[in-house]
Amino acid sequence: MRIGTFGVVDDRRRLQSRITALRVVTSVIFVLLLGGFWFFQVFQHAKFREMAENNHQRTLPLRAPRGVMFDRHGEVLVENRASFNISIMREHSRDLDRTMRLLAKVTGVDEAAMRETVERHRREPSYRPIVVVQDATLAQVAAVTARRLDFELPDVVVQQVPTRRYPANALGAHLLGYVGEASEQQVADGAVATGTVMGQSGLERTYNQILMGSDGARRVVVNSVGREIRTLDEEAPTEGKRMQLTLDASMQRAAEEGFRTTGYWGSAVVLEPASGDVLTLVSLPAYDPNAFAAGIDKATWQQLNTDELRPLQNRAIQGRYSPGSTFKVVMATAALEEGVITPETKIFCAGGGTFYGRFFQCLGHHGWMDVRHALEKSCNTFFYTVGNQLGVDRIHDWSEKLGLATKSGVDLPNEVESIIPSTAWKQQRTGERWYPGETISVSIGQGQVSVTPMSMAVMMASVARGQRVTPRLVKATSNGGTWEQVQNPVAAAPVTLKADTVSAVHDGLWMAVNGAGTAVRAKIAGRDVAGKTGTAQVISLQGKQRARGTGKDLRDHGWFVFMVPKDNPELAGVIFAEHSEHGYLAAPIARHIIETYYARKEGRPLPVMPAVPGTPGFTAPPPPTRAVAGGEAEGGLR
Amino acid sequence: MFERRLSTHVDWSLLVAVLAIAVIGVVMIFSATGGASREYWTQIYAVLLGLGAMVACLVIDYRTLVDKAHWIYLGLVLALLAVLIFGVVRGGSRRWLDLGVFNLQPSEFAKAGLALILAKLLGDVRRTSPSMQDLFLAVALTAGPLLLIANEPDLGTAVTLLPVLGVIVFAAGLPVRYLGIAAVVAVVSAPVAWMFALQDYQKERIVTFLDPEQDARGAGYQQIQARITVGSGGVTGKGFMKGTQGQLRFLPVAHNDFIFSVLAEEQGFVGVVVALGLYFFVIIRSLDAARLAKDRVGAYLVLGVLASFMFQVVYNITMSAGLAPVKGLTLPLLSYGGSSMIATLAGFGLILNVRMRRFTN
Repeated sequence: MRIGTFGVVDDRRRLQSRITALRVVTSVIFVLLLGGFWFFQVFQHAKFREMAENNHQRTLPLRAPRGVMFDRHGEVLVENRASFNISIMREHSRDLDRTMRLLAKVTGVDEAAMRETVERHRREPSYRPIVVVQDATLAQVAAVTARRLDFELPDVVVQQVPTRRYPANALGAHLLGYVGEASEQQVADGAVATGTVMGQSGLERTYNQILMGSDGARRVVVNSVGREIRTLDEEAPTEGKRMQLTLDASMQRAAEEGFRTTGYWGSAVVLEPASGDVLTLVSLPAYDPNAFAAGIDKATWQQLNTDELRPLQNRAIQGRYSPGSTFKVVMATAALEEGVITPETKIFCAGGGTFYGRFFQCLGHHGWMDVRHALEKSCNTFFYTVGNQLGVDRIHDWSEKLGLATKSGVDLPNEVESIIPSTAWKQQRTGERWYPGETISVSIGQGQVSVTPMSMAVMMASVARGQRVTPRLVKATSNGGTWEQVQNPVAAAPVTLKADTVSAVHDGLWMAVNGAGTAVRAKIAGRDVAGKTGTAQVISLQGKQRARGTGKDLRDHGWFVFMVPKDNPELAGVIFAEHSEHGYLAAPIARHIIETYYARKEGRPLPVMPAVPGTPGFTAPPPPTRAVAGGEAEGGLR
Repeated sequence: MFERRLSTHVDWSLLVAVLAIAVIGVVMIFSATGGASREYWTQIYAVLLGLGAMVACLVIDYRTLVDKAHWIYLGLVLALLAVLIFGVVRGGSRRWLDLGVFNLQPSEFAKAGLALILAKLLGDVRRTSPSMQDLFLAVALTAGPLLLIANEPDLGTAVTLLPVLGVIVFAAGLPVRYLGIAAVVAVVSAPVAWMFALQDYQKERIVTFLDPEQDARGAGYQQIQARITVGSGGVTGKGFMKGTQGQLRFLPVAHNDFIFSVLAEEQGFVGVVVALGLYFFVIIRSLDAARLAKDRVGAYLVLGVLASFMFQVVYNITMSAGLAPVKGLTLPLLSYGGSSMIATLAGFGLILNVRMRRFTN
């Protein structure tokens, strides 16, 4: 019993000590726990707070609308519309593969193409959305949104973005240009992020910096599946600058209608000599820049690039053609300015002339000709003689002074330089000296003379004004308030022509249209139109023999250069009609542009282009336009 | 059976502390589930039912209960068997019995049942230390329900039975060298268990715990999110219902396994100190009840009930801070869960019972 009692007492003491041990253990554990929480919540609080914010806050870019472009009278040429982009945010992807499969199925987009897109952006930070469907249809947006609600596509976002819209479709396409995602090169060059929409051609490209504006941003709270809960703050995007172009949309439309009615492809450039304002700039066939606005599809891009008619080429500044007889305007001006002839100097034409032992033909037996009549009749003999006296280098110099031998300096990208040969040029190019006999062909715009329609227009405007003209496309810019006028570009080498020269050349060109000349088809009663036709050989006679049967169109190109009115001209320009064979067939297009200009100026209804006998458009319906996407056959070339 | 004067011996401070934690739990569930949700109301009903169970466990003399412990144990084993046969499957495991009005989780009650039968077994022993035979019997009595629960499968709850056995055996005077042997066996068996016993998902959890960054999107996600949740709370917290981690569901099952993380986020270190303090008080106060118990049976019963409670509290809070592998183990009194709440309050009924009757014969 005593032992038992002892046992119980002993037992009880041990129990007490073991309970005390449990108390100690508990206390230690709780102190450790408290220390742990202190470490996380107090010591490392800043780090975890930032991680929590990164968890639930997203900064979404708000794309700035690009600047709107107006024509000189305020007609909207380029604007923006709201479109939807469907993007994948890999940051929230649990299973990217499944997301792509499901998204492709839901939107009806090619899965392989989608995978390719995602692969291309693989190395970007995962929080940046990868746009897989641009300009999604409402049906696609609805399908994706519904799936998102079911948490099936937690990593897919639909964003509303401003997208370029060209209300007049293909009108002035090469001038306005198109936009597209920044290329890898552009990303490497400039400080633009991949996926940035940039101007890739035309004015969109030249003035990309000011048109782009600056993107805004929106900070939002998202939950664990990426759903936006609320907006924290928002920095509104700044719209790109508005631009008022020098372009006259009604004249542009008239020019394109002119080509459509006559059935030619080609180019037209019309300038205002006093200011250098580009009123019209046509290059046909064209494309629809709307097709690029939300990312062009591969097939269309492929087709545009492989089309033999090269619809992406801006013929006005990138096409080089032999100027033919229109070059005689340069010859007459140079000869008068250099004093090789006076306005009264007469040269006898007997159907041609022999120079350096070779006979060069004229198209008629013109008899005694002064410079005015030589321009009217397009007398080769006169200009052979004058050219021979000038020499090729002075011809080159004057071409340069009139803006023909250099780039025109128009504010469009990728302009090519016209070629007017000189001794130095030949030496450099072939290592051979210039033979004076070659100058004779150059004098009538043949041989190696090769010019762009834009440089021809600048030359005509310079001759019209009596002073070197530099073209420009932007009249004014604005941030939405008042318009800031853009300064007229200053000519690199200002040249002023003698009054005698100006009046003689103007007279000659007026007679070509209104007298016994070649361009009577451009004649408008009461409007002293002055002009000159030209025919550009596509290929030499020998070449023609060789190329026979290849199916290539070898017919000559037709030119018409003009100014109106004869004294103090308001317009000067050039029409270049591919394979029209005769320059006079291009003249009615100029006539229609001029009539439209005056109708607009005088507030009369705009004229309708009458059919032109002898043109393809007269007998057969116009060939289908090569413009992109649907509906352009009627809409594109208006 | 219940004498009026006994009420003067009720440990009111322990009762208040227990109820305070339960109320904090209800409030946190309100926040974590975004308002007066179904879970919120369920929890309130559970607290009320739990109070009933507590009173029931209080009025009957614990010695009577210990006397009838084998019947209670048998009933529990049958209930656990019934779960495996008729149980309701949710989330891939069969843990609940459908009682029409609500689903009951018998495994939650197994802890108290085990404490009762072990107290009876070892408290009756007249020797100073339990014999080998007693020890084997104790292990067998633990293994039965443990294996049944593990088969549901609910490894988390099954494991909570081990502290019950361990603490009672420890208190009953198991020689310290046995504890050393047990530790060695555990260390040796760990690789064996790794090879044969653990499921792939369980292995994954352990690997992830050791290096959560390795699988930041998958299994390590919860652990990282738990740390972010707790750490971002700071000293004073983000405010009631303003915790971004819990409210925006970066933390899974916030109202359940991670309720303490939500508390830490919204109420900050201050809230954590208060909650930890309450738990600490409850445990120390319960150890007092064991110390003051009239007999060894009472002490063992208190310690057995307390053992699983304490294990779960410590493990869950450690896990809530992202310091332990994520395991489906709730925080008693605070987490959402009806059966757990009722069983826990009933357990505290037993603890109060022992302390209250320390002077009676």
